[in-house]
Amino acid sequence: MTRWLIRLVGALPLALCLSTGAEAHRLKLFATVEDGVVEGYGFFIGGGRPGEAELIIRDGAGTELFRGPAAADGSFRFTPAVPADLALTMNAGDGHVADTRIAASRFPQAGGLAPAGAVQAAEGATSSVPADPAMPATGDDTGLAQLVDRSVDRAVSRQIEPLLEAYAQADGRARFNDVVSGIAMIIGLAGAALWASSRRRGKTPPTPPAGPS
Amino acid sequence: MAHIPDGLLSLPVLAGGGVVAVAGVALAFRKLDDQRIPEVAILAAMFFVASLFSVPVGPSSVHLLLSGLMGLTIGVATFPAVMVGLLLQTLLFGFGGLTTLGVNTVNIALPGVILGALFAPLVRRSSPLGAGAAAFLCAALSVAATGCGVALALALSSPDYVPSARIIAATYLPLMAVEGLITGFAVSFLKRVRPQALGGVGAP
Repeated sequence: MTRWLIRLVGALPLALCLSTGAEAHRLKLFATVEDGVVEGYGFFIGGGRPGEAELIIRDGAGTELFRGPAAADGSFRFTPAVPADLALTMNAGDGHVADTRIAASRFPQAGGLAPAGAVQAAEGATSSVPADPAMPATGDDTGLAQLVDRSVDRAVSRQIEPLLEAYAQADGRARFNDVVSGIAMIIGLAGAALWASSRRRGKTPPTPPAGPS
Repeated sequence: MAHIPDGLLSLPVLAGGGVVAVAGVALAFRKLDDQRIPEVAILAAMFFVASLFSVPVGPSSVHLLLSGLMGLTIGVATFPAVMVGLLLQTLLFGFGGLTTLGVNTVNIALPGVILGALFAPLVRRSSPLGAGAAAFLCAALSVAATGCGVALALALSSPDYVPSARIIAATYLPLMAVEGLITGFAVSFLKRVRPQALGGVGAP
C-alpha cells in the first residue's frame, strides 16, 4: 500500500498546483472606507461567500455599534456616527470567524464626518456656479478645503480598493512552495522518528546466546 | 469548519482539548511500530494536502478530512498524523490556530480513531464491496462526529458562536456523502490489493 500512497501523495501537489480551488478555505473579512462609509464583504479564500453571516462592529472601547446579518453575498455597508477605531467581526456560524480593524484615521477628519447628504449638497452648490465650477458657492476657504479633502479621499479610495482587495484575496492562499514544504517537513519528521526508533533499539542490550559456550 | 481559529474558545475547552490530544499522541507513540511510521507519515501528508482543497457549499465551504480512512488504516496513530498536518496548516497558511491545535486535533482524530476501531472488524471480515460500504458509514459518521465536536467546543466556550442547524445541515451533509464515497472506494481498493493495510496501529 505504501507504494500506492507514495504515488498518490506525489500527485497531490501537482493537482493542487493546477486546481483553482486548491486553497485553504479560511474566512476573511475585507473592509474599506469610502466617504466615511465602511463597506466590504466576507469571503472564503478557497472561493464562496458566507451568506447572511452575522456582522458585529465595535468601537475602540469595545462598545457594540452594530450587530446583524450581512447581505446574502456577504457584503455590508455601515456609516459610523463619528470617526473611530472600529473592530469588525464576521461569524459565518460554523466556527468560521474573521475580523479586521479600521483605524479612525481612515475617515475624513476635517470638520468631522459629514453625512452623505451633506456631501452631495456641497457638490451641488459647486456645480451651480456657472462662471467657475471649481470654486465653492460660499467662497469659504474651510469649505473648499473640506471639499478637496473629501474628493481626494474618494478618488484615492476608489483607486486603491482593487489593490486592497487583491491583497486580501492573496493573503493566506496556499502556495505550491508552502505545500511542498509541508510535505517535506512530514517526510523529515518521519525520518526523525525512524532514527529515534533505531537508536532506541540499538541501546537495548542484545540477548545472550542460549546454551553452554 | 473543523479548523477553529484562535480567540474563540475558552481556556477550559482549550486545555481539555490539549490534554486529550497529547494523551492520544502519547498512546500512538507507545503502540507505533517502526514499520508503520512511513505509512503514518504518508497519511499525514495526504491529510495535510487534501484538506487544502475546498469547495464552496451553500453559506460555507468544506474540505475533506479523511479521518475515517486514517482511523481504519493507522488506528490510534491518526492523532499524531492529524496533529502534524494541522500544525503545518496553521504555520504555513494561518488555517486554524496554535492555541486550538489540541481541540482541532481531537475533533478530527478522535471520531476517526473510535469509529475506525468499531468498524475495523467488520471491514476485515467483509468482501471488498462490503468493506467499502462499511468504510462509507465509518467516514460519514466520523464527519458527523467532527461536526458535533466543533459545535460542542464552540457552545461550551461562547453561546455567540454556536452553529445554527441550517449551517450544519448545509455543510456537513454534503461532506459526509463525499467523504464516505472517497473512503469507501479507497478501502474497497485496499481490501483487494493489500488487506493487511486495514489493520490499524495497535490493532490485534
